[in-house]
Amino acid sequence: MTNNDFNPDNLSFLLPVYYSRLFPYSQFHKWLSYGNPSNFQKREISFTLLGDVYIRYQSFDDEAEFAGQLCKKIPVKIDIGAVYSTKPKQRRLNTQITPVEKEIVFDIDMNDYDEVRNCCSGAEVCPKCWKFMVIACRILDGALEEDFGFKHKLWVFSGRRGIHCWVCDKEARKVNEEVRMALVEYLNVIKGGVNVNKRVSLPGDKIHTSIMRALKIINEYFDVIVEEQDIFGSEERFNNFLQIIDEDLRHSIKNAMKRGETSAEKWSIFETTFDDMLRKDAVPKHLKNLKEEIKLQYAYPRLDANVSIGMNHLLKSPFCVHPKTGKISIPFSINELNEFDPNNVCTIQGIIEDIDQYEIKSKEIKMETEEEDAKPQKVKDYEKTSLLSAIRVFEQFLDELDKDNRSSDQGNGVD
Amino acid sequence: MDTSVGRRKVHRNIYYTDAGSEYQHDVSMYKVPPSNSIYLEEFEELAVERLQLLRILEESSAKGHRVYSEDWKSYIKEELAKEGLKKFLRLASGYCSQTELDFQARKADYISHYILRVAYCRSETLRRWFVNRELEWFKLKFLAQSHQGFMKFLQLNDFTYTPIRPEVKEKLNHDLYTSTAIPDREFNTTDFFKVPFTEVLPLVKGRKVFLKQGYAYIPTSDLIVCILSQFRASLNESLLKFNSYLPRLDDDRIGNLLENLHYIHTGDVSYEDTQDALNPANLDSYAKQFFPLCMSTLFNVLKTQHHLKHFGRLSLLLFLKGIGLSLENTMELWRNEFTKNPKIDSNTFEKQYAYLVRHSFGQAGARVSYSPHSCLKIIMSNVGQGEYHGCPFKTWDPVYLKQKLTELGLGSQAVTSIVESASGGHYQVACTKCFEGNYGQAPASSINHPNQYFSEAVKLVKEKQEKKH
Ligand code: SF4
Ligand SMILES: [Zn+2]
Repeated sequence: MTNNDFNPDNLSFLLPVYYSRLFPYSQFHKWLSYGNPSNFQKREISFTLLGDVYIRYQSFDDEAEFAGQLCKKIPVKIDIGAVYSTKPKQRRLNTQITPVEKEIVFDIDMNDYDEVRNCCSGAEVCPKCWKFMVIACRILDGALEEDFGFKHKLWVFSGRRGIHCWVCDKEARKVNEEVRMALVEYLNVIKGGVNVNKRVSLPGDKIHTSIMRALKIINEYFDVIVEEQDIFGSEERFNNFLQIIDEDLRHSIKNAMKRGETSAEKWSIFETTFDDMLRKDAVPKHLKNLKEEIKLQYAYPRLDANVSIGMNHLLKSPFCVHPKTGKISIPFSINELNEFDPNNVCTIQGIIEDIDQYEIKSKEIKMETEEEDAKPQKVKDYEKTSLLSAIRVFEQFLDELDKDNRSSDQGNGVD
Repeated sequence: MDTSVGRRKVHRNIYYTDAGSEYQHDVSMYKVPPSNSIYLEEFEELAVERLQLLRILEESSAKGHRVYSEDWKSYIKEELAKEGLKKFLRLASGYCSQTELDFQARKADYISHYILRVAYCRSETLRRWFVNRELEWFKLKFLAQSHQGFMKFLQLNDFTYTPIRPEVKEKLNHDLYTSTAIPDREFNTTDFFKVPFTEVLPLVKGRKVFLKQGYAYIPTSDLIVCILSQFRASLNESLLKFNSYLPRLDDDRIGNLLENLHYIHTGDVSYEDTQDALNPANLDSYAKQFFPLCMSTLFNVLKTQHHLKHFGRLSLLLFLKGIGLSLENTMELWRNEFTKNPKIDSNTFEKQYAYLVRHSFGQAGARVSYSPHSCLKIIMSNVGQGEYHGCPFKTWDPVYLKQKLTELGLGSQAVTSIVESASGGHYQVACTKCFEGNYGQAPASSINHPNQYFSEAVKLVKEKQEKKH
């Protein structure tokens, strides 16, 4: 089934089923405990109820309380905040509590790509523009891992058209906002708002290792993007592109590019023309990296800095149901990124139907084999659904975290 | 920090040469709070001087000089010289020698730094301002150091950075080269150090450093970034701690000073006397009409008691000089008044009092022309028995202040508001309100100098008269 069939009005009877039979409570609790239940207890978890009622500063003592409240309140959205020094629910009225820990999170939204994507607009996504997300994911993952040494990144589909990343390494969770700000600025290459034409600048002749890594990734996709997005496919797009280029160079580049028919041809003319200019020393020193700058401007991840910097900033929890699309916010593995299809993500309606299908099927099997007295194995409900693979990804992520936790505990013991 | 400040001669002053290891270097991390006892006067002076220093730093940036640029530095040095802050000037020059003068300068630097920690730990805004200024001051001193001074600093502060081995540098050569902002010619010869990336955030922010697995590889010239970030972290931590100790510090003598320090204006400390010559015949009416409360008080005491103690005399003298009273006229006024005092005959006057008048006008002694005292100086001065100088908004009892203001003809609403500001420690705000009450209009900028008060008042009243005609 596709999400087009999803009717938001059904949420009110689908959600209770989802929360009572499918939500992966124990894994969720294990995750936010990080080996110590008090981490979970001091975590802010907020709910948005039907009708936009917003409850902040909740916290739950254990898995059972959390599950009980979810089933009772049936939130349409669950947000995760920071770990505080005391349980958020016990905070005294009108007092400020200070966050002490929080994953470093990233939120990449397709919305911010509207200036460079031409296949869809607004809330839609298709495999063509999803490539931007793939690139963003790989670039971020590479920088977080190689530059900062962060290993435990949980990648989550946001439910509609974006992705979230939760960096869960112990070192990452502990850093203050100052560090987060520096880190985000390091990763943020695209500067300036809508009124700025040229948004990436790499002056000088050296290019930083981290940017080089990003460019290598972008290069794998760039030609396809030029074609698929037809980046010079209209007068307006072509002009927008020319605006990026310094006035002194613009005219000759424009004339040369006009000779090309398709976007691909135009781009290749641009590359050869610019290389030519470089050879003839016709390019001012601060513009030598123009090709790289343009590639970055078209394809480098657009980050929402505020989400990443503020420790008490809330971010939608994994395994939330998107109220408009019915899609589940599922974790995915970066290794299967190329195959991930945002339009094929399981929906709440779909997985609930999966259970029924499964039960019908297993009854048939039972009848066929006629082994009436063989005790049926206890199968968890989510195992009967297409949510299973996402939960497996989550569990694997948790296993890795666990391994690291244990080895670091031992390390501490030796010291 | 030992905050039991001795008044007068309660504690003996510690002699400078017994300074401990914390005074060995111009650049200090201010690790241990000082335990010296100091005189109350010295305490106040140190506080105000450091405040001036920090404001000069801020001013230099506000003037548009890029922080740490040569212009920025030279502006600061010029201002330090102008304000007579010789000790700080010395530290900013990077001598790092070991003379008595050096120790004195470092001690003043050290102690005043700690005094301001107490003053500035009170709120997030104050802390942020203070930390930023202190970092600038730290780096200014640091940048002035020679290589030798730099090495000595590392050693004294137990910074044990070991460079990465040549094989490692060789292996990372390409990445180090492309990712480090360092001139090519320095690249081959410099050492690189491996530090956690969290210690060099400014470099991370600007993507000016090679990162690998959470570590930053920085050239020698960037070690300062690391040192600064440690200084900042320890300073921030200490300020928070000080803040939590504050309730225990309830020494009235310094509490008030520390609480209000940041709000005291130090601007326009050197008032330029561009005033036209003043006709002495007008002096009495001018005093009634245009003098700020501090000066009209002194003037009245002079006229009625025919005597003023030293600081009051000096304060009034310089003020009068500033508003355009000539040396001759001042001398005459002085002689007239003082000799009316039965204890002073003309002989004593010449011997004991005339000198100061000439001295203030730059006609005797060091022969420099002294600037009229600013509010800051007046507010900070100590007022003892039988002395009338100082800022009335600070020194007067609220009840007395209220009575006096009412006598001066201010409305009851204005009086209440002025007294409230004064009791809250905002003396200059009170004075500014007083100005407004008197002339029906606020001064062009808030009051930070008695001479400013005077000239604005005169200007306003003249303008009004001209309009009438
Ligand atoms: S604020 Fe300044 S001018 Fe006003 S009374 Fe006090 S010292 Fe004098
Ligand atoms: Zn699309």
